Amino acid sequence: MTNFIIRRLIQTVIVIALLSYFCFYLMTLMPGDPVDLMIQSNPRITSEDVARLRNLYGLDQPTYVRYWNWMSGILQGDLGYSRTYRIPVSDIMGPKLVNTFVLSFASLALALIIAIPLGVWSALRAGTKTDYVIGFFAFSGVSMPSFWLGLILIIAFAVWIPWFPAGGTETIGVDHGSWWSIVTDRAYYLVLPTVTLAYISIGRFLRFTRSAMLEAMRNDYIRTARAKGLSRVVVIWQHGFRNALLSLITMVTLSFSGVFSGATITETVFAYQGVGKLVYDSIIANDFNVAMISFMISVSMVLIFNLIADIMYSFADPRISLS
Amino acid sequence: MKLLKVLVLGLFVTASVNAPAAVSNDELKIGITQEFENLNPLIMTMSATTYIYSMVGRSLVTLSPDGKWITQLAKEIPTIENKKASFSPDKKHIVATWEILDNAKWSDGKPVVCADFDFALTVAASPNVSVGEKETYTQVKKISWDEKTPKSCTFTYEKAKWDFNQLAQFRPLPKHLEQAVWDKYKNQKEGYEKNSIYNKAPSTPGLYNGPYKISEVKLGSHVTLVPNEHFYGPAPKIKKIIVKLIPNTGTLEANLRSGTIDMVSSLGFSFDQAVAFEKKIKSESLGYNAQFKPSITYEHIDLNLENPILKDVKVRKALVYAINRDELIKALFDGKQQVAIHNVSPIDPWYTNDPKKITLYPYSKREAGRLLDEAGWKLNNADGLRYKDGKKLSLQFMTTAGNKTRETVQTFLQGQWKSVGVEVNIKNEPARVFFADTTKKREYGGMAMYAWVSSPENSPRSVLHSSNIPSEKNGWSGQNNMAYVNKKVDEIIEKIDTEFDSKKRTALAQEILKYYTDEVPVIPLYYRSDVAVTPTALKGFRLPGHQFAETNEIENWSLQK
Repeated sequence: MTNFIIRRLIQTVIVIALLSYFCFYLMTLMPGDPVDLMIQSNPRITSEDVARLRNLYGLDQPTYVRYWNWMSGILQGDLGYSRTYRIPVSDIMGPKLVNTFVLSFASLALALIIAIPLGVWSALRAGTKTDYVIGFFAFSGVSMPSFWLGLILIIAFAVWIPWFPAGGTETIGVDHGSWWSIVTDRAYYLVLPTVTLAYISIGRFLRFTRSAMLEAMRNDYIRTARAKGLSRVVVIWQHGFRNALLSLITMVTLSFSGVFSGATITETVFAYQGVGKLVYDSIIANDFNVAMISFMISVSMVLIFNLIADIMYSFADPRISLS
Repeated sequence: MKLLKVLVLGLFVTASVNAPAAVSNDELKIGITQEFENLNPLIMTMSATTYIYSMVGRSLVTLSPDGKWITQLAKEIPTIENKKASFSPDKKHIVATWEILDNAKWSDGKPVVCADFDFALTVAASPNVSVGEKETYTQVKKISWDEKTPKSCTFTYEKAKWDFNQLAQFRPLPKHLEQAVWDKYKNQKEGYEKNSIYNKAPSTPGLYNGPYKISEVKLGSHVTLVPNEHFYGPAPKIKKIIVKLIPNTGTLEANLRSGTIDMVSSLGFSFDQAVAFEKKIKSESLGYNAQFKPSITYEHIDLNLENPILKDVKVRKALVYAINRDELIKALFDGKQQVAIHNVSPIDPWYTNDPKKITLYPYSKREAGRLLDEAGWKLNNADGLRYKDGKKLSLQFMTTAGNKTRETVQTFLQGQWKSVGVEVNIKNEPARVFFADTTKKREYGGMAMYAWVSSPENSPRSVLHSSNIPSEKNGWSGQNNMAYVNKKVDEIIEKIDTEFDSKKRTALAQEILKYYTDEVPVIPLYYRSDVAVTPTALKGFRLPGHQFAETNEIENWSLQK
């Protein structure tokens, strides 16, 4: 197991290094650079200004030199400087990354808590009215655009019935007396975006659980378990669900890897201070350093959660060996 | 069912309690949709940052919403006439005396002095600092003062230019705080700006000299401001201002109605959103005012003068005659924007609509047809289009994809040009491609629609001088994206810079307008209106209509029932 993990980690580092250069190169091919944006906002910028700024930012260097400068900084722990916000990348990205993780994990947890029991229930009652109602609920979530659902929730629960704030991450300018007050305040702002994100994912998880359970419950070992006189709960959860779990692990771990970038639209609609919108804006604004760090985190998340999935398979099904 | 009843009841009870517009001076939450950066006045480039900075920082002078230059930190604007400014003996430079207000202080109580302006100049002139438009600062060659009178500054200017005293963007830096950072990092590329106190600790006392000071900044989220007790002017009435970023314009209205924000700044609603919201204000008797003010933002169509069809001035003139801009403004903008007849807005002293001075193009399909006939483009009755030597009169029309207003304008104009036999093919691109490559490298087939933001009495050098045609040689800088060349216009532009007589200067500017309207390198469309939505209780708010934000007067704002 240890050898497997070390081997995979080394592979991960190599893949990240190769992909980072590829991505850096692609970004340099995009039209425009940060200086072009400055020209747009100030037509009085002269050609001397343009040449000076390109030199100062190193934009007049060949791609490989720029990449090397950037990578050297990363290896020394310097994530670079955001040309958009004019502050170090770590300063702008750190808090936003935390916010995104909180939102994404909360919505993922809510989605799983609702989707798995409903998926199992739906599979056990396949073809009944209950199954159809749950199916309708699932498909409505899958097919609903998140920006539309977000707007509906804002109008319903922030404008018509002002139970929740229309947007933001926390109450501004309030001195919270205790950590509990901070937690409840943040939770208050999390409700609508979490529900939006969760509702979109529930359908996917629910349908996946349902089909995996249907498949598992048709197997001979289920009939054997029932013939042995095991209780219905044990048959469903220990024999049926455990076997359905393998495909669910793949689905959920891949979803974990996407939490970093999957909330862009929801964050924008709710003015939630997450990293999704930051990533989008950085690409649009040619803010290379922010975009590249975002990319590195995304790739790392995908590779690391794939590794976690592989490890979890062996726990879910002892027949799978990692050696 | 019981739950449903509770929900319905809840809806009825609460639907009528939409958060009312703010009516107390305790707090005002302003919504903006554009991102802002760190508030170092030398480094900032974004409009939203300037908007916020105008609440906390002041310059020597600024442009008022009436379009007049007024003092801020300065006691008086030096001019040649009032003898506070004079030419150097060789007439190449100007020497001006700027007196700083005796009570002008930084937010830690330290006085604003000449040394702060001199320090800003030193920092801005460094090759290691990424100031955007360096000439804003380096137009001043030297700042000197007597130690006994640290608020009486002598500015020696690099060149003798008439607008030497329009130093609205020459902002001082608090030397007593930033000098240490500068000394430590001045030799590192971008070292100063990365380590500036504005960056590391933006709420440090002493960084600001305006009516407010920063109490909290969260980039990408909000800025909280509280009154600066050391402000030289009248104490601001509103006790706390929160500027909140709502990145999605679609949710601005919901945020306003739910009380998350109290007003939408000029950096918020798009024009059509504001028009729609104004109708709701009237029909639902909401406690807001939708404010519109014609601005100097000039929406226009650049004509690619390297296009063989558009090289013919008759075709260019015909294109202008063929469009009914009054109808466009009425149909698409409820008459709330102003038709443009050239690149100078009616709020600019250089403006003229005198037909003796410029060429006007009233809507006339007949005149358009006549000019096209003269140019050899004959109408083919079979398809209603014009042809010359077997070639169809067809032009490409580009703008920024996804901009609903511009795309609607395109469709409107396309129809009008078709009615005189001109085929127009629309091809739009994302803004970053459109502005980065297409307009600069003149890769647009015929016409490119976008806007210029400028200021009154702004030299047209960057957009009309032939030296500003973007090319590989000049690193694709300059904004003469039409490739317009007129030696006479170049000469007048050079003359304007050094013409100190305002009447003569206006005459020169209008001479350029004559060429501009005669030769039609650009089709003028309309001057955009600035829009904002404010609570009816907010008094003292004025939209400026130019690049200096409405927050320059924030100390006059108050919320009264």
